[in-house]
Amino acid sequence: MSEAATNQPVWDGGSLPAGVIVGQGVVIRGTAALQRFRSQHADGLTVGESSTLDGVQFSVGPQGRIRIGRFCCLTNAILMCDEQINIGDYVLIGWNVVIADTDFHPLAPAQRVADAVACSPIGNDRSRPNVECRPVSIGSDVFIGPNATILKGVRIGDGAWIEPGSVVTRDVAVGAHVGGNPAKVIALQDGESVR
Amino acid sequence: MNRTIAGDWHDGVIPENVVMHPGCYVETSYSFHLCRSRRAQGVVLGEGCSAYLGCMFDIGERGSFKAGRCTLLNGLWLICDSNVSIGDYGLVSWNVVIMDNYRAPRDAAARRAMLHRFAASREPASLAPVDAKPVSIGNNVWIGFDCCILPGTVIEDGAVIGARSVVSGHVPAYAVYAGNPARFVRRLVNEELRAD
Repeated sequence: MSEAATNQPVWDGGSLPAGVIVGQGVVIRGTAALQRFRSQHADGLTVGESSTLDGVQFSVGPQGRIRIGRFCCLTNAILMCDEQINIGDYVLIGWNVVIADTDFHPLAPAQRVADAVACSPIGNDRSRPNVECRPVSIGSDVFIGPNATILKGVRIGDGAWIEPGSVVTRDVAVGAHVGGNPAKVIALQDGESVR
Repeated sequence: MNRTIAGDWHDGVIPENVVMHPGCYVETSYSFHLCRSRRAQGVVLGEGCSAYLGCMFDIGERGSFKAGRCTLLNGLWLICDSNVSIGDYGLVSWNVVIMDNYRAPRDAAARRAMLHRFAASREPASLAPVDAKPVSIGNNVWIGFDCCILPGTVIEDGAVIGARSVVSGHVPAYAVYAGNPARFVRRLVNEELRAD
């Protein structure tokens, strides 16, 4: 485990696919990591210097683009991206965290019928209805505990602390401490109690 | 004692300080690849206790975990740097996180320093234990899937924790708790308490 630093390949699953750009000292572990990476962008996934992606799974659509900063550590997280997910520097993301910039299917019932048909084995390549995507942005120095879920359109400010198991549906202020489902503010930056 | 498992997908061994009582079952040695405990009994699995594929015992040098008789660990993700225990006849579902610390300091500058150390070594031990608070779970406790049990939590005998709950604090005996944050739902009534 410890000798990963210099002569080891970046990814133990093979050579990196086109569209993946990594900085110096990046380690990606897990053969399933990029199985569902289908971005057509030249910078579909950018990972900054010295970041560790251990058991992380990327599900990235043709238009998806993910940026991860420097010195991040993500363990067994799942990132699902059809548009844009940005993660700053020094971000810690725990086991089984899910980050998604889309709900994957339309909300309107009739559109969902069309989507279910298009997605099915008898869909005959019918085109899918439009599905709303909204970029997710996570600042620097953010901590996200295990089993947390970050939903589409959420912006998390620098230095925020997301408790394990949180379901984050709205923006989180700089330095805020949030938890629960839906996630609510537990404390603000200066430790000031909320209630 | 043989420290390898027949048919194990992972080419590893079960550490010497994992005490396995008769009839206990461990599906893969991979569950212990993050077990760094230097305690004489880093892990104790009671008689008939089972730890299935989804289990991960991420235990620091000073950590110790105990599970009692016939306790079923379907998919326990354990973060332990002090003491975590679960009694007899426990049922722990899949993707359940039990943690006695956050493995990250609250202070952002201290987190940066930690991530620098981790990037330099890639040793899990460099993700420093901070203020570990033991977790104690009694006998006959049932924890639903995707739950998180946070540092310092005490769950007494016979309690039930609903799926996807996040538990912090004290859960009294024979209570049902659920939600995130977990709240009291009801107390199990007398007929339900009879084990016959």
